[in-house]
Amino acid sequence: MLSLSAVLFMLALGAVCGTVLSVASKIFYVYEDPRIAIVEGYTASANCGGCGYAGCSAAAVAVVAGEAPPSVCIVAGPEATANIAGVMGLDPGTAESLLSYNTCTGGDRAADKFLYMGINSCQALATLHGGQRVCPVGCLGFGDCVKACAFDAIKIGAHGYPVVNEMKCVGCGACEKVCPKDIMEIKTMSQKLLHLNQYDDRIAPCQQTCPAEIDIPKYIYQTKIGDYEGAVNTIRERNPLLLSCGRVCPHPCEDKCRRGVEDEPVSINQLKRFVADHEMNTGKRLPISVAPPTGKKLAVIGGGPAGLSCAYFLRRLGHDVTIFDAMPKLGGMIRYGIPEYRLPKEVLAWETDGILNLGIEHKPNVALGRDFDIGSLIASGYDAVFLGIGAWKDYTLGVEGENLNGCYTGINFLTNFAVWQQERPHDKRPFIGKKCVVIGGGNTAIDCVRTLVRLGADEVTIVYRRTRKEMPANEVEIVAAEHEGINFTFLAAPTRVLGDEEGGVTGLEYLKMELGEPDASGRRRPVPIEGSETVIDIDMLITAIGQGPDVFFKDESKRLDEDLKLTRWNTIDSEDEIALQSSIPYIFSGGDAATGADLVVSAIGAGRRAARSIHFYLADEDITPPSKTLFGNNIPVSIFESVSGITQLPRTEMPELPVDERIKSFVEADLVITEDEALYESSRCLECCLICYNKDVA
Amino acid sequence: MAKTLTQEFTKGLWEEIAPFRLVLGLCPVLGVTTTIENGIGMGLATTFVLVFSNILVASLRNIIPSKVRIACFIIIIATFVVVTELLMQAFTYTLFLKLGVFIPLIVVNCIVLGRAEAFASKNSLTFSIADGLGIGIGFTLSLAALGAVRELFGANNLTIWTTPTSIIGIQEVFGTNFEPFTFMVQAPGAFVCLGLMLCLMNLVGSK
Amino acid sequence: MGYMEIIIGGIFVNNILLAQFLGNCPFLGTSKKMETAVGMAMAVVFVLVLAGVITWVLYTFFLVPYKLVYMRTIAFILVIASLVQFVEMFLKKSIPALYAGLGIFLPLITTNCAVFGACILNVDKDLNFMKTLVQSVAYAVGFGLALILFAGVRERIILARVPKPLQDTSIGLVTAGILSLTFYAFKGMI
Repeated sequence: MLSLSAVLFMLALGAVCGTVLSVASKIFYVYEDPRIAIVEGYTASANCGGCGYAGCSAAAVAVVAGEAPPSVCIVAGPEATANIAGVMGLDPGTAESLLSYNTCTGGDRAADKFLYMGINSCQALATLHGGQRVCPVGCLGFGDCVKACAFDAIKIGAHGYPVVNEMKCVGCGACEKVCPKDIMEIKTMSQKLLHLNQYDDRIAPCQQTCPAEIDIPKYIYQTKIGDYEGAVNTIRERNPLLLSCGRVCPHPCEDKCRRGVEDEPVSINQLKRFVADHEMNTGKRLPISVAPPTGKKLAVIGGGPAGLSCAYFLRRLGHDVTIFDAMPKLGGMIRYGIPEYRLPKEVLAWETDGILNLGIEHKPNVALGRDFDIGSLIASGYDAVFLGIGAWKDYTLGVEGENLNGCYTGINFLTNFAVWQQERPHDKRPFIGKKCVVIGGGNTAIDCVRTLVRLGADEVTIVYRRTRKEMPANEVEIVAAEHEGINFTFLAAPTRVLGDEEGGVTGLEYLKMELGEPDASGRRRPVPIEGSETVIDIDMLITAIGQGPDVFFKDESKRLDEDLKLTRWNTIDSEDEIALQSSIPYIFSGGDAATGADLVVSAIGAGRRAARSIHFYLADEDITPPSKTLFGNNIPVSIFESVSGITQLPRTEMPELPVDERIKSFVEADLVITEDEALYESSRCLECCLICYNKDVA
Repeated sequence: MAKTLTQEFTKGLWEEIAPFRLVLGLCPVLGVTTTIENGIGMGLATTFVLVFSNILVASLRNIIPSKVRIACFIIIIATFVVVTELLMQAFTYTLFLKLGVFIPLIVVNCIVLGRAEAFASKNSLTFSIADGLGIGIGFTLSLAALGAVRELFGANNLTIWTTPTSIIGIQEVFGTNFEPFTFMVQAPGAFVCLGLMLCLMNLVGSK
Repeated sequence: MGYMEIIIGGIFVNNILLAQFLGNCPFLGTSKKMETAVGMAMAVVFVLVLAGVITWVLYTFFLVPYKLVYMRTIAFILVIASLVQFVEMFLKKSIPALYAGLGIFLPLITTNCAVFGACILNVDKDLNFMKTLVQSVAYAVGFGLALILFAGVRERIILARVPKPLQDTSIGLVTAGILSLTFYAFKGMI
């Protein structure tokens, strides 16, 4: 009797509770992220509070909001952790996996500022004075991240900073959450590719200076330990044209090399060339990962460094990319401007093939404004356009006689020659004079003279209106030209080109200059000397005094004619030189087309920045770069007046072909350093971070 | 991954000994451990509920829909708690009175629900029994150990079991002149004592 | 037993956390951050009072008359669980602002021994309705007070130099012991 009433009572109570709740759940229904319920289902639901959250549903909310790691539940065990991680979208088929990595390589070598005797917790230490080390942004080394990692993927390495085991890391983000100094970052490959150097990054001066923002210390370290493949992959996170850059880059990074303060800088670019050549010589292309497809279609106009870089990064971010190029083969100015002896075209082809292999379509021999226009691209479903048309239009002197036969302009000459050499070697060779003068002091001028020497010109002279010190060309190029027997006439301003009755060029008249008083910028301005007119006899003249973008396409397209703003140098104007968006929102530009003639590596950096902007533009996100963006500036604390403890170690010299051998042919003049030399040179690197460096190396 | 039956049993005794390793189920740990006897009694009651709820959950694990499983587990546990209450009233009434509110509170002990959810609902019957027994005995041992320390210093006694006629255990361990350190059997002593024992466990465990 | 006695006793002397040892798991779990502790304390006040009243009604008008007192454990847990769920749904829809503050703490309270234990203690003492209400409020306030005080201390402990084996929960428990000692001192008041 008693038990019957008990059963009846319980049934009644259960029925009442159940009915009330089910009715209430209908009446009080509010939408919430369905993942919360699923995640909560995987927790132990014991509401023990052991996780530090107010119960299982609070923990589930925190997990879904990304505030708690999947391993939050201390009762449920590893299986639940895996399930929760699964719910949180770490399915490899639909999303990129997140990986944790440490951004500080300082560790123990960063000097201590305070004596700290508290508990071994970064969190506690950070609360006091922000940490005990001199470095404001560096790792504290107590391993809160290690304790937070439920997957045993992080260890404090031998140098006092965390090392992530990528095989074990699931990207749960627990380490990133607990790190008080934001050392640990959880990023997908795409997020890493999109990152721009910032003022609060832990990066060495070389990396700050590199226009492509390559993680230089990392790849040098990888070279040092023999991980050449790792080094190539590191470079490829920022620069797809490592073979080309390794040959032609004037390496502004080396100017800021910390070893260079006391000693000769590390030969960074030669190391890049070494690992790049190493990959090519093994014949095996390293795999390059690409994000899952986004379904967006993009047009890249121009197959030069900027366009290739932009296309490469957009492709890796998962977009469909087509490169439209006016020339028969990819490479732009580095194929048709830089001569064969500096960058063999076989090497370039290997490099551009590798980029196309990612799944990029290449449409050669089509020029914007001639074969298609922006309107036709948009009509065929492209979501955005990158204009990387370069700067192919030579400036002219504006003096009498410039158009006589035998007068050429720099880019025009180099391109004509390159096309003949590469595409039509059986045709008649372009005209080459016996006594040649090249006007200008930039790389184009040097490329012209060195090409002329190789083609058998008897006498080749550079005429430049300032002195050697002011020449904008790369120092190594000038030196090589000197070795190859080029005459230099400095402080000479051309005034007139002389010709014969048949319209052929016969001489160049120039005015001698002298250096006057320093101007506002502190440089001594060349001023002409009255009555110093001099004539040199020539039969060929090349003017290489600079170049700008050729924007003829603008007249052909109504859409562009009205809206695409240009600067007064005919470059494509963008409101923000980091974001690189033109006055037409879906058109972006970069490289020489946006800045005027500049370095290859700058174009590569611009290509990546434009790719970043386009990626965000397509996702309807803000493309404005973060206010902390470094953009080639240096972080003041990282630039030292002096560097203590440096032992002088000679820099590895670049091997070259002997002069008499190289001037007879277009065989590559600069050679790659040997493996031993690469290991020696990489061991000269101080492995700098923001303010600390490896004193053992010094 | 697969553990043997013995391993499932023994893990509860040290590796995953609930109050110390997981810091779970603390209320009874602190509340009743004034004597060893209370600790053992509470531990055994919990073990009883743990084992039987594990048995029921493990045998019904394929029937209970996962959406309402937590509610089902709670009802199952509550049922066994009621059974325990009734049994204790019948057979060990004085102990039942001493443990007071903590017996019904087994129903909200996170260890019991935690094991049902984390283990019994995923493992076979025999393994669940081994797990329940292991965790329960580990829990009992923890309670007894804490009770022993507290009773020894707080009351100068070590009482293992009281029958209506006699007491099994040692009275006045340190002799009659020992002034009991009553702080230990009172509430603050419970916290401090458990905290220090945890510290000891960490010391031993870290080696 | 006067109301004053119930209030002082409930908040200080018989503090549910530090003297009765009820609700210790969330006490240690949610006291690492002040913010969480405050939310938890508010939620407990809310639910404990409601649950105290409802279980008293259930006990007095159903369990006692039908001689089902031995079923109280299972009946209480069912009612408290349903109540918490109901309150959660109600708040989410009707008072989202309050839900944002308390919501995530509510489900936790289903299996909080403080709430359940307080209800059992209430009916054990055979109090009338008003006294049950006052007693529940006093217990809840006591819980909140202890939790918030403890969270304040714990936030500071992180700066102290604690020997390695004592770190985290271990030192937390010792601290709780000292806190308990201070509450113990109120014993003279009744």
